[in-house]
Amino acid sequence: MESLGDTLWDVVISGTGLQQSLLALALSRSGKKILHIDPNEFYGGSEAAFSLQDAKSWVTHASNGSCGLVKSASIALPEDATGLSPSRAYSLALAPQLIHARSAILSQLVSSRAYRQVEFLAVGSFFIFSPSRDSAEASGLTRIPSTREEVFSTTAISAKEKRLLMKFLKFVLDHESSPHLETWQEHADSPLVDFLQKEFKMGGELQTYIITLTLSLDGQINTRDGLAVIRRHLSSMGVYGPGFAAIYPKWGGLSEIAQVSCRAGAVGGAVYMLGTGIETMEIAEDEVELHLTSGDNIKTRMLVRADDSPSGQTGVGRLVAVVGSPLTSLFEATVEGAPRPAVALIAFPAGSLSTAAGEESAYPVYLSVHSSETGECPVGQSVLYLTTLATGNVTGILERALDAFIHATSDSQAPQVLYRLQYEQLPGADTARAEGPIFTFPAPSPSLSFDDSVLEPVQEAWKKVMGEAAAEAEYMVFEDREGAMDDDVYE
Amino acid sequence: MADQGGSQHGIARTSRVRTEEQKRRDLERIAKYRELEDQVRAHIARGEYAPEVFQLTSKLLRLNPEYYTIWNVRRRCLISGSFSRPLAGSSCLKASSSTSPSATTTTSSTSCSSSSSAATRPAPGSPTAGTSGTTADPAAISTTPDAPGKEDSAATAAAAETQDLSIIKSELTFTIPLLLESPKCYWIWSYRLWILQQAIARLRPAVARRIWEEELGLASKMLGKDRRNFHAWGYRRHVVQQLESATLEGSSMVEAEFAYTDKMINTDLSNFSAWHSRSKLIPRLLDERGADDAARRAFLDKELAQIRNALNVGPEDQSLWYYHQFLILNLVAPEQHPAMTLNFTREDRVAYLTREIDEIKELLEDYDDVKLIYEGLFEYTLYLCQLEERQPDEIERADLVAWLGKLKQLDPMRNGRWADLEKEYGLKE
Repeated sequence: MESLGDTLWDVVISGTGLQQSLLALALSRSGKKILHIDPNEFYGGSEAAFSLQDAKSWVTHASNGSCGLVKSASIALPEDATGLSPSRAYSLALAPQLIHARSAILSQLVSSRAYRQVEFLAVGSFFIFSPSRDSAEASGLTRIPSTREEVFSTTAISAKEKRLLMKFLKFVLDHESSPHLETWQEHADSPLVDFLQKEFKMGGELQTYIITLTLSLDGQINTRDGLAVIRRHLSSMGVYGPGFAAIYPKWGGLSEIAQVSCRAGAVGGAVYMLGTGIETMEIAEDEVELHLTSGDNIKTRMLVRADDSPSGQTGVGRLVAVVGSPLTSLFEATVEGAPRPAVALIAFPAGSLSTAAGEESAYPVYLSVHSSETGECPVGQSVLYLTTLATGNVTGILERALDAFIHATSDSQAPQVLYRLQYEQLPGADTARAEGPIFTFPAPSPSLSFDDSVLEPVQEAWKKVMGEAAAEAEYMVFEDREGAMDDDVYE
Repeated sequence: MADQGGSQHGIARTSRVRTEEQKRRDLERIAKYRELEDQVRAHIARGEYAPEVFQLTSKLLRLNPEYYTIWNVRRRCLISGSFSRPLAGSSCLKASSSTSPSATTTTSSTSCSSSSSAATRPAPGSPTAGTSGTTADPAAISTTPDAPGKEDSAATAAAAETQDLSIIKSELTFTIPLLLESPKCYWIWSYRLWILQQAIARLRPAVARRIWEEELGLASKMLGKDRRNFHAWGYRRHVVQQLESATLEGSSMVEAEFAYTDKMINTDLSNFSAWHSRSKLIPRLLDERGADDAARRAFLDKELAQIRNALNVGPEDQSLWYYHQFLILNLVAPEQHPAMTLNFTREDRVAYLTREIDEIKELLEDYDDVKLIYEGLFEYTLYLCQLEERQPDEIERADLVAWLGKLKQLDPMRNGRWADLEKEYGLKE
């Protein structure tokens, strides 16, 4: 049998994170000699989804300092962990990002035919958590209205505020053309909240609604980016069905897309090796020699890998919790004919939470609730993904958010928290690097919704691998392979 | 809401350019179609409405559901063969005994009797099979009072009903894919209605009722797909009417239908038909609730609050203004719309109208270029003056002039109309 070292590989892809996997998908019909390795025993890299056992191994791994961009990982089980199901009943996502309907990744999945293997679920409303003002009043969740009919139905804002909101929503849809363009251009780099207050005379509450729609982690997203993100949200509304703007891949979010892409790569002839990393490398002008942990010595024209050195900036704190309740009230379809959502998003605005020690949350906390429909936990339970900027007492704040949520949603008995996974995700390089034969993807984005800019480096890498052939080929556009199932169902 | 070029309700019409290959295929399709059509015409020229013709109509209608003659052919095939023999006093008999000896009645009565010999599928269990047999005399059918043997009649009636039910169901199923493709084709709807009428004529009320209830479900589904398909709304009203009737052992469905308009409005505010339907249901709704004056006033308050909330988020939407105007007319023209304000005093009416005008003025704070707001204010101010039997006062005049000015600016195409209003009410500055 030919050994790996006998071939001059066209590209070695290191790591099976989303970007590397999408590259494998993009190259799956190119006929190039591709070796795709991952030091982990699982697919998905920093976008992987874990069974409880896998999560435990990952935490151990991270504690040894082997995951450059993850730190302070730990798992906590309650003393009486009776409700927890077997390990394989769970698929906890490291990247539970929701994908807006107008996101470019969806059109790529469609044109490459990879979409056939992914099942998508609807993401429902976005909510805002409002803390109780006194002990008598329960804290509650308010649905954020983002369509005309939602603004009509909500009882949470005044008539005047409704008019302001409608004017703003109309403005956003047209903000890139005159005369609206001139209105915000001078404020492009200043915070959106300031623009909302100055131009639209919006008070704090409406500002919070709109900033929440942007899912901004520091609440300070600038006007240019903020308007673009909201516009994407609004124009995504109703695209795949009434009442929702975003979708979510079943079985673990982006991990599923990574797996499907690797599968396509393998079908296209790429060689896959899990549990294999790069021990040492020698870089020449137009090729790299790699010594793998498997003992193989190989030569390749190009090496594509992901960045894993922390940049030193503030990271993001995460808490993944499993609760023993289906939380049905959060997953109701609000519009006639709409599918039942499987994901609900709740925002805790800055300042709405304080720990027992009196530390107030300086930044928004976002909570993505996933029902068992996502396949990430068994029926009767739900998975909660909490995210906030890692400053101050981030663990305390996340814990407080979890607690506040559980008490806000339960009428009688608060559901039990069966499992907690905590970690901090550090930022790395935010642009790709091309240095001779080595191409390095930027670090994963901490964003809560899929950021299309993640796709650009993938196409760049593809062009480099394809060389001259790139000019003739269409990126991510394939025909179905023979025998591929046509599962278009006419309703 | 006005029709944008090339689209209806925002659903685009596509125009296609044909290649040579496509042209050739189209010519083939046209040839096949013409052949089918010729075959059917040949059969009916010979007065044949056999099952073979029935099959041909299926093919032809799938290609062209607008060909209404073929729907008629299909009806005749069913009456002359597939449907069970008519009982005494049934619809077929009614056709033959109608006063006008039109061509259709003669053919249908002939087919009723003669096809029992020509049909390849004799109707089993028909009550007249034993007696009239192959006689071509319509009179023979009408003068046969009893079915052969009383013990048999129950069994034969049940078998007849089962057969008819199965035909009715399969015909309804046949039209579904056609409706999905051409949801606004009159002939398909008309055929469905005819089948549903057959259900009433031929089946026991309880059985017929179930068919009609399913029909209501279909109407809702069609409205789910295109909320402003006015065929579907009119159809829905007809179905509801039948379900409420004594023939189907029904009772009033006003509350359910009112709730349905609520649902449709919450899905899409811009639904003229839903608001219109609502306005039509209100008088009956209030009567059935046995609403007294206080209840009616409360109802009006709620409706006004709701439509104001809607106008607050969609002031450019004409269907909302139409509904608001309907409510205002209840106040100012109670003779035509007595349901909610019959016993209001004039003071009441003035108070309500004044409040509405004030509320609408508030919209101008944030919406200063929506012409429908100015039109509404203009019209309602004049109503107020009419109510109080006076001319506009100074402040009102100034307002009217200002609003008219805005209208001239926002809608210059209707300058003629604005000029007329100016003259009529002496509003030249």
